[in-house]
Amino acid sequence: MSAEIARCLIEFQGVSKSFEGRTILQSLNLCLREGQCHLLLGENGAGKSTLLRIMAGLLAPDQGMITQQATSRRWRKARDFLRGHVMYLHQTPYLFDGSVRQNLQYALPATLRGKAREQRLQQVLDWSELSNLALSPAKQLSGGEKQRVALARAFLRQAPVLLLDEPTANLDRTSRQRTIALLHSLKQRGVCLLIACHDAHGLDILADGNYQLSAGSLLAEQA
Amino acid sequence: MQESLGQAIAEAIALLLSADPALWEIIGISFSVSGAAITIAVLPAMAVGFALAFYEFPGRRLLIALSNTLLSVPAVVVGLTCYLLLSRQGPLGDMRLLFTQSAMIIGQIALCFPLLVAMSHSAFQAVDRRAWETAITLGQSTLGALYLVVREARFALLAAVLAAFGRIIAEVGASMMLGGNILHYTRNIPTAIALETSKGDFAQGIALGMVLLVLAFSLNILLHLFQGKGALT
Repeated sequence: MSAEIARCLIEFQGVSKSFEGRTILQSLNLCLREGQCHLLLGENGAGKSTLLRIMAGLLAPDQGMITQQATSRRWRKARDFLRGHVMYLHQTPYLFDGSVRQNLQYALPATLRGKAREQRLQQVLDWSELSNLALSPAKQLSGGEKQRVALARAFLRQAPVLLLDEPTANLDRTSRQRTIALLHSLKQRGVCLLIACHDAHGLDILADGNYQLSAGSLLAEQA
Repeated sequence: MQESLGQAIAEAIALLLSADPALWEIIGISFSVSGAAITIAVLPAMAVGFALAFYEFPGRRLLIALSNTLLSVPAVVVGLTCYLLLSRQGPLGDMRLLFTQSAMIIGQIALCFPLLVAMSHSAFQAVDRRAWETAITLGQSTLGALYLVVREARFALLAAVLAAFGRIIAEVGASMMLGGNILHYTRNIPTAIALETSKGDFAQGIALGMVLLVLAFSLNILLHLFQGKGALT
């Protein structure tokens, strides 16, 4: 999907955030486009995670608006919309107590039952190559396996926008390649990816462009 | 003295095994009153504990300090406060609750609420904040996310409930003041022990003490089993 025709899913306007008098984000504008992947680059402490958490509706900004399909919403009303359409993956994914299978179930809608539910679970286990770990305790998985479970949940969740915080940090080469392959697959399915990282670590292969976050401001660069 | 103590213990065991209706009635009152108190208190107390752990709001620190302070207030002082509220001259005197099981339940709620708040606050604080955020970002409703967080903290929350239940079923001060130790109505295990001991009838006191001891031991075993250890280590 080329950058010219990609539909803008959600547009953020004038997003600002300060913590204890220190400005982290200053009037940022950003558009998330269908099927596109951008890297959000910046030094540690530049505010990448803060921006992602705001975009996921997990943190309220001091100022800002979002526009979606020509409808502008103030942040208070936007929160539920964002939580419904945007999925955020922590740098170290959090897996709940229980098996991998149980963890995947939490990403499925409660309305999906019976055979259809089982089929969906099996599909995602195959997709993420987690079939042999389906019944393993999720908390005991390696970093790479946890990342795959998190991406499998994103696959099941079918959110149009996926925000990832350093998804390949602390992973070995094989795990990194597997993670990138799964992200590529999600991108091909039309999911918009925004990946925060301070080092591209091979993720640039996915990217249609980069955003550089520095001193609270955002600078767009074409890949 | 040793001989009489041994005799009293033997009598106590015989009393327990004989299914003495008076004894088991006292045990029944204890469990129903404390069970009702814990049932009423547990959800609101845990909701407060959750809010203290996951939300920032004005007065939060004061509330934490207050719940921790109330932990160390003696049961008899809680009983006195409730007594003053429920007595005829008190603001709730018209409800005529004093010396009823309802008054005992109110007193026990007042006793276990701060303990439940403090322990559930710690339990929720120990849960990684990412659990809540992950649940939300997985598309769970607020209630669904809450369920997942509670599930993560379930063993610590269960420990809080068991500790609170252990505290209220064994307290004597508030029950005595608010229930009045009325036979067949408000006489529970601790008030009965106090009475029988003052009368010099140790057998029943020891029998009831044994029940409390077995209860405390059972609650701990239960907790270990829930924690998946299966046996004491």
